Amino acid sequence: MRNALAVLAEVVAAGPGVTAKEISTALRLPRATTYRLLNLLVAEEYLVRLPDLRGFALGARAGRLAVPIVPPPSTAARAVVAHLRGRVRWGVHLASYAGGQVTLVDRDPDHPSSQPHLLARHPHVSALGKLLLAETPDRPLEGGLRRFTEHTVSDPARLAAQLREVADSGLARQCGELHTERGCLAVGVRSPTDGSLVAGLALSGPAHRVAEPNTELVDLLRTHADRLAPLLA
Amino acid sequence: MNYSTRIADQVRGQSPMAGLDRRNLGPMQVFAQSVSGAAPAAAMAVVPAIVAASAGAATIWSVLIATGLALLVAGCIGRFTRRMAAAGSLYSLTAKGLGAGPALLAGAGLLVGYSLLGMASLTGAAMQITALIGLAPATSPVVAAVLVVVLAGLVAACTIRGVRLSAAVVLLVEALSITLMLVVFGVLLVSQGIGVDSRQLVPSGTGVGAVVAGVLPALGAFIGFEAAAAMGVEARRPFRTIPRAVGATAALTGVLVLFAAYTQAAGFAGVPGGLAGQQQPVRALAAAEHLPWLPTLLDAGVATSFLACSVATTTALARLLFSMGREGVLPARLGRAHRRFRTPHVAIAVALPVLAAVPVVLISLGVSPARALVPLLTTAALGYLVAYLLVCLAAPVFLHRIGELTVPSVAATSVIVPVLLVVLVAFVSTAPVSVAALVTGAVLPLIGARYLWMRARHPERVAAIGLYDETSTADLLGPPLPPRHPPPGSEPSPRSEPPPGRER
Repeated sequence: MRNALAVLAEVVAAGPGVTAKEISTALRLPRATTYRLLNLLVAEEYLVRLPDLRGFALGARAGRLAVPIVPPPSTAARAVVAHLRGRVRWGVHLASYAGGQVTLVDRDPDHPSSQPHLLARHPHVSALGKLLLAETPDRPLEGGLRRFTEHTVSDPARLAAQLREVADSGLARQCGELHTERGCLAVGVRSPTDGSLVAGLALSGPAHRVAEPNTELVDLLRTHADRLAPLLA
Repeated sequence: MNYSTRIADQVRGQSPMAGLDRRNLGPMQVFAQSVSGAAPAAAMAVVPAIVAASAGAATIWSVLIATGLALLVAGCIGRFTRRMAAAGSLYSLTAKGLGAGPALLAGAGLLVGYSLLGMASLTGAAMQITALIGLAPATSPVVAAVLVVVLAGLVAACTIRGVRLSAAVVLLVEALSITLMLVVFGVLLVSQGIGVDSRQLVPSGTGVGAVVAGVLPALGAFIGFEAAAAMGVEARRPFRTIPRAVGATAALTGVLVLFAAYTQAAGFAGVPGGLAGQQQPVRALAAAEHLPWLPTLLDAGVATSFLACSVATTTALARLLFSMGREGVLPARLGRAHRRFRTPHVAIAVALPVLAAVPVVLISLGVSPARALVPLLTTAALGYLVAYLLVCLAAPVFLHRIGELTVPSVAATSVIVPVLLVVLVAFVSTAPVSVAALVTGAVLPLIGARYLWMRARHPERVAAIGLYDETSTADLLGPPLPPRHPPPGSEPSPRSEPPPGRER
């Protein structure tokens, strides 16, 4: 156990690409022990092997060992969100995707938002989570496809089809999948330099209103997301 | 080269195996895949008598040694599957140790093995079902041929519809099959009297040679036990579940066949010639013990075993073709995945008609299903043995390449490779010049020509051999999420589902 943690710490210290032999030498552990521990940590997905199969790096699951540190958005970014709040009668929430997780960084003080730990753990039931899942469709879901309401999409094939729609349109929608009466719409905020997904901007409201096309509302949401891009990336 | 460029150079935004239902199968489903590939129920009914023909009173010992050898092969496969998640089974694994040429040979062995085992299991299932519904197979070739086509259609439907569905079917059917076989042999053992027959455990009057001669047919019971190695992309924790599934299948098959062998050998202990002289040992024992309903259970157990085996081998065969399609070794269409079902539907649609057509043609030519089974199964075993030999040879080379060579891995290979070579030579020399020779003569020049052509015209395809589900950026810990790339080979399909949110 102590050795396994030492191996994990050594991969963090040496950086991605460190090989089994290098770890064994650095820790003065017997080779066979090192290989066994590395295979164990890879099997549990705390470590991954790089494509050359020699080097190791931290796996996505190791992120669960630490609370993701998400810096609060800048004043300029908050001003854009506040501007949108002034124009619509819906709840406006901003979430960061740092660490591959949904973290609310600017919750609307006047409207209820979903509980942050539910958003982080069950991304399949929120519009903000669906945006993140659509970006990394092959990533396994830690919490499984838990059902919250009769509208929750818990069939993997249906969710996959829905995520492809989200990826194609850039708009995620959720009607009553977490709470029967509530729903939300969300669009992504992408880095202007490399196009990577950094944050999501969501509108929350009654489920039946979310289900409408809301063309003008979505345009307004997209405009504000575009204005947020240089401020958040 | 510093670490950050090391990682940036090699990690792609998306796995080359994208399109399959990634990381979605539980450990039991993966295990069932391997068990069904080995089809222990059929082995329990047939193998002990064949082993006894060579080993006589030492049948148990031959089966025990074969189990040990199968565990060694499982260990060699495990050295790969603990480190890489492949869909191409032993073909992709061999590539990482021995390179493109030997990998193609292993791939050809597996193609032959999976295809012929698939044909054999469809034929066997059809034959057992005609026996169950009371038709004599000789008088009802039409029924058997129609059954082969119907079963192939069912297998195609459930393997295309989704890997979770086909894995669930395999798990259910195989569990039923093993339960039936345990009941059959349990009843036989109890009716014979529970006391341990020590004559079966301490053989007298049989030499070491007889034991060794019995190992060859006993190994036949394990053929197909590596089927889980094709589920690398789809298993939820592949590095843990796949090595365990393959090892546990070798152990389980060994225990089941030992149990069946002991029951049958003890049952015939008083008969001159013993188990070796029996054509249908379980039927004879059931008749002797006045249990007329037992053969029906046996038929049902073997039929379900063949059925599960046909789904498992089709699943493995399709993923092998899929990998070869993605690499460009076979036409790229085979490397397509269905957008909604996330299965290699083109590979399945190409493979299953062939798997069904060969038995149908054989039956329509007047070959009885029971007679067709023998050359199909022996030729399949030959293909598997070639692949097992190459993957065992590749294991220490692979470990050396990645700088993780250990003494046990070299020791295991240096034991198992000579044994498998002897088995292979014995196999080729005892088998009559037949289907096996024909298939080998057809397949070897084909893959040789394909290899040389690729080396001359498309060296990048030779370099691609051994594609597996590598670590992609999504698996790494780190904030930057990559822009989305369309997976290679996945087809744009028309939007079939209404946009979410407008469904109500």
